Amino acid sequence: MKTNTIVVCFTINGEKKELQIPAAISALELIRDVLELKGTKEGCGIGECGACTIVVDGKAVNACLMFAAQLDGCEVMTVEGLSPAEGLHPIQQAFVDRHAVQCGFCTPGILMSTQALLMETPHPDRQQIINAVAGNLCRCTGYQSILGAVEDAAAGGLKGKSRQKTF
Amino acid sequence: MVDMDYIRPQDLAGALDFLAAHGPDTTLLAGGTDVMVDLRAGKLHSRYLLDISRLSEFRKIEACNGELTVGAGVTIAEIYASKTIARHAPALQKAAAAFASRPVRNVATIGGNVAHCSPCGDTIPPLLIHDARAVVVNPQGRRLVDVEQMADGPYHCTLRPDEIITGFILKVKPDEVEFVDFQKIGRRKALAIARISMAVMAQQQPDKSIGFIRFALGSCTPTPHRFRQIEEFLLGKVPDENLVWQAGRMLADDMLAITGRRPSALYKEPAIQGLFVRMMVALI
Repeated sequence: MKTNTIVVCFTINGEKKELQIPAAISALELIRDVLELKGTKEGCGIGECGACTIVVDGKAVNACLMFAAQLDGCEVMTVEGLSPAEGLHPIQQAFVDRHAVQCGFCTPGILMSTQALLMETPHPDRQQIINAVAGNLCRCTGYQSILGAVEDAAAGGLKGKSRQKTF
Repeated sequence: MVDMDYIRPQDLAGALDFLAAHGPDTTLLAGGTDVMVDLRAGKLHSRYLLDISRLSEFRKIEACNGELTVGAGVTIAEIYASKTIARHAPALQKAAAAFASRPVRNVATIGGNVAHCSPCGDTIPPLLIHDARAVVVNPQGRRLVDVEQMADGPYHCTLRPDEIITGFILKVKPDEVEFVDFQKIGRRKALAIARISMAVMAQQQPDKSIGFIRFALGSCTPTPHRFRQIEEFLLGKVPDENLVWQAGRMLADDMLAITGRRPSALYKEPAIQGLFVRMMVALI
C-alpha cells in the first residue's frame, strides 16, 4: 500500500534532524519507532495518562496526541535529553532520593512535566507543582513522594539546566 | 498505517483554496488533541489533514468596544494566562483552568474545542453566557454563527466542509457583574471529561435582587445550551435557599425534558441540582 510521506525538520535533544516520515504518524511513533528513543512511554495512547509527555518549545505536551508533522521547526526534548552524558540530572536524582520511582513506567513523563514546569517557574509552590503533574498518572507511589521530589529539585536552584554538585 | 496527506497552508487564503477543492475529504487540524483520538479510534477517514494551527490570523486576543475577540487558534493554556480574558470573560478562564491537563491545555485550541461539537466541550458554556458568535470564513466570504447553533447534535458541526472558524466574538462581562463561576463534575479532578458543567455570571442590585444573569449548562444535553427559563425565573428576585433549590429543580426538569429519562438521569437529576445550588449559594 502506498504511504504518503512528508519531510520534517526539528531539533531533538539538541540534535538537528531532517526526516522523511509517513504523513499521519504521531510524534510518539516518530520518537519511539523511527528514532528508537524508548524512554518516552506509550500508556493509554489518548492523552489521559501522561506517560508520553515530552517538552516541545519549552512546553509539556502529550506525544501521543500530536502528529509528528506538527513538530516541524520545533525544539523537542525527551527524557534522553534530560540527563547529562554521565550521571543523573538533578530532577532525576531528586526522584531517586525521594523514592519517587516504583515501577517507573510513568517516571519519564513526570520528569518531562517537571522539566517544563521548572523552566517556566523555577520556584513553584506546591499547588503549581500539583497542577503541572496532574496530567501524569502514577498507580504506584500515591504521588506524595513525587511532589516532594519536584520540591527538592526546585529547591536545588534548578533553572532547566543540570545543577553543579555543590556538596 | 493510515494513509493521509498532511498539508500546511501558508495563509488563510491558501487554506480556503484547499478546502474549496477538497473540503469534504479534509479534516482540519489545530491542536490535534481530539483529531488524534478519533484517528486512533478508527473514526477518521479523511484523505487530507489541513494544519491551520500556525496561521497568524487565528491567534489574537483583544477587547474593543464592548467586544472580546478570541482567535480560534488560541490554546487553552493561553486563555488561562490571558489578563484580557480574565478581566472580560472570567468564566472562560475558569474553564481553561479546569480543562484536561497541562500538556493538553498547551496544544488544544478553543476553535477545536467548539468545532469538535462534543456535548462536554469545557469552553462552550462560558462562551454561551457571553452570547459568543463564531467568525466563520469560506471561499465566498465571511459569516457569524451563534456558538449555540454550532452543533445540531453530539459531535455534529453545522458548518460546511469548506468553512473555517477564525475566532469568536464575545460580549464582554458588564462591569457591574461581580459573580462569575464555572463548575464541573468529572470522575476525577484532572483529565476527566465533564459529566456536568455550568457557567454563570450574575449581578445583584443593592437590595440583593438579581439584576442580570446568564446561565449555561454543558454535558447534560446533546448540545450545550443557555437555560433562559432559569435566567428569567431568577431575574428580579432576591435569592434565598428556597429559591435557589427551586431553580435547581427547574433546571433538572428542563434537562430531562430535552434528554428524556436516560439511565444516567438517576445520577444526573440530583447531581445537577446539587452543583447548581453549590454554585449559586454565593448569591444568598
